[in-house]
Amino acid sequence: MPLYEGIGLTEKQAVVIDIGAAYTKFGFAGESGPRCIVRTEVKCPETKQVKKVLNYSSKEDLYDLLVEFIHTLYFRHLLVSPKDRRVVVVESLLCPTLFRETLAKVFFRHFEVSSILFVPSHLVSLCTLGVSTALILDVGYVEAVLIPVFEGVPVLHAWQAQPRAAQAVESSLKALLLNENSEKEDFPDSTIEDIKVRTCFVTSFNRATQLEAVQPPPDVVYREGGTDTFCIPGKVREAVHEVLFEQDNDQTSISTMILDAIIKCPIDMRKALAENILVIGGTAMVPGFKARLRDELKHLVQQPKYASRLALKTFKFHKPPAKENYVAWLGGAIFGGTDVISTRSLTKEAYVKHNKVPDWADLSYNCWEEKMSL
Amino acid sequence: MELQDIYYNKAEYVETASGNKVSRQTVLCGSQNIVLSGKVIVQSDAIIRGDLANVRAGRYCIISKHAVIRPPFKKFSKGVAFFPLHMGDHVFVGEHSVVSAAVVGSYVYIGRNCVIGRRCVLKDCCVIEDNTVLPPETVVPSFTRYGGSPGVCNGEVPECMQELMLEYTRNYYQHFLPAK
Amino acid sequence: MSFLLQPEIVRYQCTCGSLKPISRIYFCRHCLKIRCGYCVCHEVSSIRCINQTIFLFGSYLALKLMCGDFVQADSHYCGNCLENLPSAEARLKKNRCAACLDCPSCLNTVSTRSTNVAAQNPDDPSKTVTRKAYYLACGFCRWTSRDAGLPDQTVATGGWPERENVHAARLSSLLEHYKILALRERQEKERKKFIPRRSYLHFSDKFGLTAVMARKRAGLPPLGGVGLKDDAGTIPELNPSEAVEEVDSLPADIYTEPVSLSQVTTLAQRLAQPEFQTELVSDLFPAHKHLMIKRSQRCRSCEHNVSKPEFNPGSIKFKIQLAAYYHVPEIRIVTCEPLQVDKQGELIIKLCNPTQHQTTVHFLPLSSADDDLEETEKETENKIKMEEKDAQKTSQGRDDVSILLPSLSRQMYISEDPRPVNVKLTGEVILPSLPVVLPPRDDAAEYDDSGDTYHFQDDPKVVVWRKANKAAVKMVVIPLHSAVEAGEVLVGFVMKYTYVNTMATLEQKEPQKVDLKVKVYINVGKTVGSCN
Repeated sequence: MPLYEGIGLTEKQAVVIDIGAAYTKFGFAGESGPRCIVRTEVKCPETKQVKKVLNYSSKEDLYDLLVEFIHTLYFRHLLVSPKDRRVVVVESLLCPTLFRETLAKVFFRHFEVSSILFVPSHLVSLCTLGVSTALILDVGYVEAVLIPVFEGVPVLHAWQAQPRAAQAVESSLKALLLNENSEKEDFPDSTIEDIKVRTCFVTSFNRATQLEAVQPPPDVVYREGGTDTFCIPGKVREAVHEVLFEQDNDQTSISTMILDAIIKCPIDMRKALAENILVIGGTAMVPGFKARLRDELKHLVQQPKYASRLALKTFKFHKPPAKENYVAWLGGAIFGGTDVISTRSLTKEAYVKHNKVPDWADLSYNCWEEKMSL
Repeated sequence: MELQDIYYNKAEYVETASGNKVSRQTVLCGSQNIVLSGKVIVQSDAIIRGDLANVRAGRYCIISKHAVIRPPFKKFSKGVAFFPLHMGDHVFVGEHSVVSAAVVGSYVYIGRNCVIGRRCVLKDCCVIEDNTVLPPETVVPSFTRYGGSPGVCNGEVPECMQELMLEYTRNYYQHFLPAK
Repeated sequence: MSFLLQPEIVRYQCTCGSLKPISRIYFCRHCLKIRCGYCVCHEVSSIRCINQTIFLFGSYLALKLMCGDFVQADSHYCGNCLENLPSAEARLKKNRCAACLDCPSCLNTVSTRSTNVAAQNPDDPSKTVTRKAYYLACGFCRWTSRDAGLPDQTVATGGWPERENVHAARLSSLLEHYKILALRERQEKERKKFIPRRSYLHFSDKFGLTAVMARKRAGLPPLGGVGLKDDAGTIPELNPSEAVEEVDSLPADIYTEPVSLSQVTTLAQRLAQPEFQTELVSDLFPAHKHLMIKRSQRCRSCEHNVSKPEFNPGSIKFKIQLAAYYHVPEIRIVTCEPLQVDKQGELIIKLCNPTQHQTTVHFLPLSSADDDLEETEKETENKIKMEEKDAQKTSQGRDDVSILLPSLSRQMYISEDPRPVNVKLTGEVILPSLPVVLPPRDDAAEYDDSGDTYHFQDDPKVVVWRKANKAAVKMVVIPLHSAVEAGEVLVGFVMKYTYVNTMATLEQKEPQKVDLKVKVYINVGKTVGSCN
């Protein structure tokens, strides 16, 4: 295609969408950043209530929500017609079938796009690094999902997922704040998110072991709606992210997810994975998150539970050329900016013929014969 | 829903030859600088500051109760200058709103409790939702709907807005009747 | 104000099954059907797609076919300076206005302020001259460009420094790399197409254990998927990212420094500029204002425009405007008696004929659910048939063409399923049995005080009053028991009206009179009094 570029004959620029539970990243393929990062929610035209797209009640409901949501994305933010334009959908490998099918239906039937390329978010994140082996941990809103990728192939059976992400932090923050400010009955979610983003951090490993003993960081007075103020204790600011790292009854936490995944991988991969860790997702942007994760890993690997099974000494982290919250999108934009988009996409014709979206979990597609053609 | 009749006290309102209905309970400063083009309703306790600069309102404008129409000013190094305020036809200004725009186009709906900052320009066929604060010098393009504080575009207005406002303001004028 | 801010009381059923107020629906004069924002095709016009057709087809015919509907000027404009931008330029500028800037703090438009500053006279250093300096200030939150540490400008517009993504170079080299990789993959695939298929045995050579062992012995790296280690050849050198043990640790003073919330940006401020996501207020940088568009809307089944604005952003005129408000009789509630369950209540509605032709309105009860079902089934069947046909057409040896150029397959018919109407009626309605004739709309009537010239012999039981092209019609509503739970009484009926189609087609030059039907749902209001 670059041959034609000079005379304006190139295809319309494809769009790349990464629908997250909290925020959706949307932009053009081949660009260095998304055009917009917006909340994944719509104002319901009937009830005038703001509704999260992923809180759908039924297939039909989801369809309507997606139509409304994607319409605003195209016409408010990207300002292009969706019709006859290619789409790259960055999705998790664990994306529910219902959601995928509905999304494809919305794009093909309502917006009449010419093709959709589904790319797994963990895999394409590697495109931002230029490596083919890494252990990718995506800490998003609802859950943290880990999938190791070795030489470009996801090691699916070592996947890990834990509901330890922004949602858990926010509910813990809410509980702690309600405890401290007894006169308050409830905090709106937006306030909680704001407090989390602007005042909280992940404390260091050393301090975390003796949280009760150390001098807490200064309190913050938070102003709400002009005159109303309340206090955010320093202790809360420091302790709120502990839900991610504390081991629960099953002795799991974000850090054990990494080690457990490595254990599940064949022995040849282990060192390579431990030395190629990539942490993405909005929650990974909290100050101190990565330092804490590294120290936790170093500590855990010496514990008897892991010391006997893993002989790892070093853990190395990649630094993606982007903010963590849109790394997966960027991977999709790089991947979708290449010729792959014309060779591997699901075209409208193919979709109409089968009325189905190919999926790795579907055996009718995931056989050798099909793999060759897809 | 069809508009219900709105009755006013006949003694309170003055009706001019061109059909303007202006309450006596308003503050019309510098009335020689105020032009109401006909069939304009100015309801009680509204304030129009014609003493600052010229104010011109087109046909079928409705200035609701407690609304303030105040020409905008601009600060210069040597002092302050006021500019005239022009309002098109078929404009509705809601109760308790303060309008300090430079230009309000035609077929514009301004809700209640709005503040339209200095030297704003509201183009034809736009809607300002209730309780909106438009910062000074904001431009509201046609067929958009602004709301919030600061006012941002949060939607669109149907394409037949012109017809809807025409119908609405005319209807309002027809239903604005003296009490028997 | 039913049209703007209040809940929707009278709703019309669109052909697609959505219920919308009359201000939100369109009437396609070509297929004589009601369309709404959901079932029309929204377009941001662009001239580029025609160029493609012309070049690739090289055929005059194709040009003619596509141009007729597709040539449209560009409709990107800046909401602040109301300047039109050609779409190529808009794309180049990433949909942002070159002149106007947004406040990074409250996301409003900033304005330029001028001040006088004393500067040294370049000719005579001992004297000072005053010259104008310009800075940006937000009229809402009082942010100024001086807060961001930006130096004042000497010119009033433009000249503000732009921020670049620090990773831009790295990202473009990555993209370049993967582009070549993908191109090779494609070439390889195409080459393979011409090789006769062998048995599966060769896979054991390539992917089997023996191959892996052989590579290992030879000291070669294992085969990769998206990896870089494939036989490099022409692939440009790219340094893969190096993982490091060191990560950003917390600043030491975080445990002691008090946080000032006014110094930390909010999430909204950060996400307004995704590539930078500044964390400190002092580092905020003004962003160029995002453009807006004018959209045209097109009926999906006949491909005619139902709404097409003029390009000038300041204009409120339309080149094509087929809003239902101009074509379908409008219904409004005038009054309604207090509603009690199982008791008759009188409802008066106002009908208004917006067209230039006389129309006759009949009221019919809603057809039963079974009829609806049949209708939709029929439609779906038709659609499926059409789709199959198209799919066959396109699959005849044109697969790769459509991959190359999606716009070629534009003619393919793919549509949405009709949506079932999801409402529950909570009242019955006794409709007037007689039709109502509405005279055409006459814009001059407003200035004419001579009174109505029409004389209709109306049944006073049906028509309460009439005025020009409007008439008030009486009907009776009986709320059902379910209205108590639903809170509101919802009634529905079919309005049949005569429509004069003035569209001249090839077969018919004369205006045609047709009978059209539309389903109307009216939310009459709450019931009064309990019925326990």
